[in-house]
Amino acid sequence: MTTSDSPTITRRATRTGVPPLGQYLSEAFRYRTFALYWSKADIKSRNFETALGRLWHFLNPLLFGVIYFIFIGIIGGGGFTNTTRLGFIVGNLYVWTYFSAIITTGMGSVQGGGGGVAAQSAIPRVVLPLASTLTAGNLFLRSLVAYVPIHMIAARGLHWEMLLLPLLLVITGMFGLGLALLFAVLNVYFRDISRLVPHFLRLWLYLSPAIWSYDRLVGEGIVETLAQLNPMYWGMVSWTMMFGGQSGNTGPALAESVSIFAACSVAVLLIGFFTFVSREDEFAVRN
Amino acid sequence: MSLPSATDAIRVSDLSVSYTTFVEEPRDLHRRVGRRTKKRDIQALEDVSFNVTKGEAMGLIGGNGAGKSTLLKTIAGVLKPSDGQVDLWGRPHLLAPGMGFNRRLSGRENVILGGLAAGMSIEEVREKQDSIIEFADIGGFIDLPTITYSSGMFSRLAFAVATHVNPEILLIDEALSAGDAGFRDKAVAKVKEMCHEAQTIIVVSHSSSMVSEMATRAVWLHQGRVKMVGEVKDVSDAYSKFQASERETAQHDRSIADRR
Repeated sequence: MTTSDSPTITRRATRTGVPPLGQYLSEAFRYRTFALYWSKADIKSRNFETALGRLWHFLNPLLFGVIYFIFIGIIGGGGFTNTTRLGFIVGNLYVWTYFSAIITTGMGSVQGGGGGVAAQSAIPRVVLPLASTLTAGNLFLRSLVAYVPIHMIAARGLHWEMLLLPLLLVITGMFGLGLALLFAVLNVYFRDISRLVPHFLRLWLYLSPAIWSYDRLVGEGIVETLAQLNPMYWGMVSWTMMFGGQSGNTGPALAESVSIFAACSVAVLLIGFFTFVSREDEFAVRN
Repeated sequence: MSLPSATDAIRVSDLSVSYTTFVEEPRDLHRRVGRRTKKRDIQALEDVSFNVTKGEAMGLIGGNGAGKSTLLKTIAGVLKPSDGQVDLWGRPHLLAPGMGFNRRLSGRENVILGGLAAGMSIEEVREKQDSIIEFADIGGFIDLPTITYSSGMFSRLAFAVATHVNPEILLIDEALSAGDAGFRDKAVAKVKEMCHEAQTIIVVSHSSSMVSEMATRAVWLHQGRVKMVGEVKDVSDAYSKFQASERETAQHDRSIADRR
């Protein structure tokens, strides 16, 4: 080893604050096993003190869906015999829970130092929100086990659109991760962001076709156009078709919905990633 | 800028590190809603340059706010330079006991999590798991959630994991919590063993005696700048004299203030 050899690692100031990407990404890849174990540990440590333990991974989304079904049955006047509606609401709410969990836990993973990782180690901080995305994805897949009987009761059937599940899982994960990275940075500067995000997500849920069907807006002109400016409009349309198929569909085509949602997700992930890595040592200084 | 050596392990060149933090302003009695914070720029390091050659143990000494921990964290990659650069020939490891631990998991599971966070591969962690558990010496508690541990037991386990890494460049901060008194000697011996095995070491301390014990050369930092680099004895002596004169000045100022 002499100085004529190039250094293994060089740390230098960059104009934009973005570190050399090759070095950064290879370091992040090096910690992939840590991300997996961190995610497993997070899942295991949840419901740690409860009697039903891991059963809550299935019970939570089930109760969540039933409560919304009762609420909408009463308020919306839809009645309780409409099982198709039950399947629609529960399926979409599980997706929304997955999406919002990526944002809230991803943002929180770097807040407060992430178990010392953000403040004391050179582990690329992006690994922590990524691990939270894995956790949310894992819990979503578990919640689908609770969804299967509801899907059957709702007679939503088996159809080829269900093959899109892994693709939509990834696209939603990318979109949620991009937003988690952006909110994590914003939260460093404005601490109230972490308090506002849950309210923002609740409002976003009501503005997206998750608990109401996108069919209701077809032909509504400006209202439909405004609704379509929301990337989660395309996301929820794609998921609704994945769960329930396209039969009798009068709204946008599946391919169109998935493509627009994927394009928005890539854009948000790239913006979130570059914003996050250019500011990530703030997590060590300000947390 | 320092001259490159034929066998550099670390080369710090014209390094400056600054960051912005927010300080809370004194509360206005009439103001009950909201917080008043003021932005404050901190210049933690300025134009710092020095080399550490392979196989060398370098000490970093200086008072509070001298920039020692900032320098160590920048070498480790926790903080980014604002100017200048750090070149490393080898992977650095900042000794940080308990990093990555999840208090709700068992000690055994935390050995894996902490080992991976410290940069070990899963194979390496599994290979060293028994040795780590034996070193921590916490008996049957290893399979209980670490939330049930006493602080001493937790420190033992955290320290055992952190010191079972074999880094090429070892970075040690003075604030090492090694658990109870009975464990401290074992911990010190383990750090010395690590230093012996590591190719290059940087050790940070307030105390020049600790640095003298572990290092061969030293860098004295004062208010973010390098005040002196040289043989550990020379630097320690100069630092001790400086501390003594600072104390004398402070005492003198106090006595003048008292007389007034």
